[in-house]
Amino acid sequence: MSGEVIVFLLLSSTAILGGILMLNLKKVIHMLLAVVLTFLSLAGLYVMLSAEFVAAVQILIYSGAVTIVMIFGIMLTKHQAKEEKNKNPLRTTLVGLGIVVFFVTIYLAIRNLYFGQEATALHVNNTEQIGIKIFSYYVIPFELVSIVLLVALMGAVVLAKGEEGDEK
Amino acid sequence: MESLNIYQNSYLFVIVFLFVALMLPIVALSVGRLLRPNQPTEQKMLTYESGMEPFQDARVQFHVRYYLFALLFVIFDVETVFLYPWAVAYEKLGVFALIEMLIFIVMLFLGLVYAWKKKVLKWR
Repeated sequence: MSGEVIVFLLLSSTAILGGILMLNLKKVIHMLLAVVLTFLSLAGLYVMLSAEFVAAVQILIYSGAVTIVMIFGIMLTKHQAKEEKNKNPLRTTLVGLGIVVFFVTIYLAIRNLYFGQEATALHVNNTEQIGIKIFSYYVIPFELVSIVLLVALMGAVVLAKGEEGDEK
Repeated sequence: MESLNIYQNSYLFVIVFLFVALMLPIVALSVGRLLRPNQPTEQKMLTYESGMEPFQDARVQFHVRYYLFALLFVIFDVETVFLYPWAVAYEKLGVFALIEMLIFIVMLFLGLVYAWKKKVLKWR
């Protein structure tokens, strides 16, 4: 087994572990730390794919900013409320069936997936390559991103303002 | 292939740093636990609040205004991320990229002006 495989197995199992922990832990802060663990191991996977810039962005945006927003989002809700255990056997069976169907579908879909020739020079000046691609081939999507961000900003302002109006 | 190997091997240092960063608090805290005397009383276990008696849980519901500040931060964080590849590749892109980036920034600046006009940035 080469070192690459070992690192890949470690990182992917940490990512899955973080996801499972997030679903099963009880306290909000612990859940968030589990999500951060998943994000960090995904950043490691990006590094393995020679996508250094994406890995840095993953740490910068997801592990930092998104977690802050998530913590606020959860702190704003009533999270102290005790969850009563609701074990419906029919529901459990249906969920299990859904998971199996999903697995089979995805497995059949990606089994013969072919991405074309493997890119071999991605690690050379990674950020510069991304910059050239974005600003000469994908200009319209890039400008659309600014519109999407603007919409998110305005939506948040409208929402928060509406909330305050109710208090007065 | 040669340069790919160099790229991957250079990340071994990152792994070493990660390992040191993980082990430092673990070792420091567990050795400290072994060395220090441990006689907790109820007074000692209280949260330190500058002499005030602490009450309530720390994790209460926040006001929605905090959320807005966090969201503003994330949006401008994303904007900054797009600035990096632009700045790195600027020499090869020229004036057209400058105009693209100006449109992008003005678009988000409009959002900031909107938030400003709606008095979101004011703390009351």
